[in-house]
Amino acid sequence: MEMIKIINLHKSYGDLEVIKGIDLDIKSGEVVCIIGPSGSGKSTVLRCINRLETPTSGRIIVDGKDIMDPDTDINHVRTEAGMVFQQFNLFPHMTVLNNVTLGPVKVRKMLRSDADKLGLELLEKVGLADKARSYPDQLSGGQKQRVAIARALSLKPKVILFDEPTSALDPELVGEVLEVMRQLASEGMTMVVVTHEMGFAKDVADRVIFIDSGVIQEDNNPGDFFSNPKNPRLRDFLGKVA
Amino acid sequence: MEFHFDWSVFFESIPMLMRGVKFTIVITLGGLSLGFFLGAFIGLMKLARHAFPRSAAITYIEAIRGTPMLVQAMFLYYGVPMALGIRIPPLTAGIIIIAVNSGAYIAEIVRGAVQSIDPGQTEAGRSIGLTRSQTMLYIVWPQAFKRMIPPLGNQFIISLKDTSLLMVIGVGELLRTGQEIVAVNFKAFEVYLAVAVVYLAMTLSIAKGLRMVENHLDMKTTR
Ligand SMILES: Nc1ncnc2c1ncn2[C@@H]1O[C@H](COP(=O)(O)OP(=O)(O)OP(=O)(O)O)[C@@H](O)[C@H]1O
Ligand SMILES: [Mg+2]
Repeated sequence: MEMIKIINLHKSYGDLEVIKGIDLDIKSGEVVCIIGPSGSGKSTVLRCINRLETPTSGRIIVDGKDIMDPDTDINHVRTEAGMVFQQFNLFPHMTVLNNVTLGPVKVRKMLRSDADKLGLELLEKVGLADKARSYPDQLSGGQKQRVAIARALSLKPKVILFDEPTSALDPELVGEVLEVMRQLASEGMTMVVVTHEMGFAKDVADRVIFIDSGVIQEDNNPGDFFSNPKNPRLRDFLGKVA
Repeated sequence: MEFHFDWSVFFESIPMLMRGVKFTIVITLGGLSLGFFLGAFIGLMKLARHAFPRSAAITYIEAIRGTPMLVQAMFLYYGVPMALGIRIPPLTAGIIIIAVNSGAYIAEIVRGAVQSIDPGQTEAGRSIGLTRSQTMLYIVWPQAFKRMIPPLGNQFIISLKDTSLLMVIGVGELLRTGQEIVAVNFKAFEVYLAVAVVYLAMTLSIAKGLRMVENHLDMKTTR
């Protein structure tokens, strides 16, 4: 079943056309990694999926709902498609536990006690149950990002969108975040991951997509993507990062 | 005639001035409480998506900041009631004037603080399905409010001093009380000095209270 369907997506900022016609289908349970040079439009595509950016034209269907349809409750779509940001964006004035339970309590109207139980379970899952009462500023970058993943999971989304989740981390902290993401992938979570972590893409992704200049240049299984790239720009890109 | 400073007049006038201090405090606190709600409302209007509330907010802020408070006071106390055919007691008028005036400055404080919050916070809030107003209420406002405290404390001091202008509409606040004492004993130097000392005592107390609040907040949470 299609979890996300993107049809002829275009996005411009003023005169600058950033996304120039992208079509992409992502099936339930699939892990899709998106790579590409800086400024190529990777974040923009991801942010259009939960409408943090409004597409200029085209259609995006998330779990059967057209996000551009005025009758679609976008807040509901966002609970189905969680997001993890490069800069974590944890709420600094709330405890770690409250970061995770805010959505369940305010959006799902869950009872405080049930939400706390769920929150602790999720923190347990990312290995941070002992930090429930801490504040974000008392955590390392890797811990912050794991809390952010727990927060994204708190609404039981059907897909999670990751925008360079490890790019702001010190190298020694990257592994703990990727480990949590691997675990999610192995549990069958649908994931769209913008990343520079080629190792992760090779091991975990079902498909890898190369975006350059606002279009998809290559969409392939990780084996062929890395060892037998067809697109010359991708060959060039892989040559530079390898 | 030789001038000599009369300490007894200075000290005796202070308890008499307390009657005025009471009004000064009531007007300042009443005016600022209303002014805070007004300012928060206007400040958020200035950040609205639609052009109409934005320009309404800008017009209000510019009109108040670009005119002397004394003129605003005369207009609101003498002008507006005449147009509306009503009478407003001086104390009520004083509170309204402080509210209307401080509201414009507080609106800018609120707008600045809200805008200073990382847009990533709003995005994170919206990404978990919170509505625009829930995101403001639970995420942006609490963080912005903390940043408003120092400039609000500053506005507190300004508004307290501004209440002295209300003597022109006959509010029995501190300065007017001083003036009434001088009218009887002609000891302008001692009495107005006492008035100044009492104002200073109040503004210094506010400044000190503010520092305590800031330190407390710094200790309680980071960022
Ligand atoms: N809000 C915006 N206003 C104007 N231009 C923007 C905006 N957001 C992104 N852009 C531009 O759109 C282009 C694509 O940006 P995007 O963030 O999607 O790139 P990216 O592939 O995620 O890059 P990076 O690897 O640096 O994160 C860039 O040229 C960027 O400057
Ligand atoms: Mg990006």
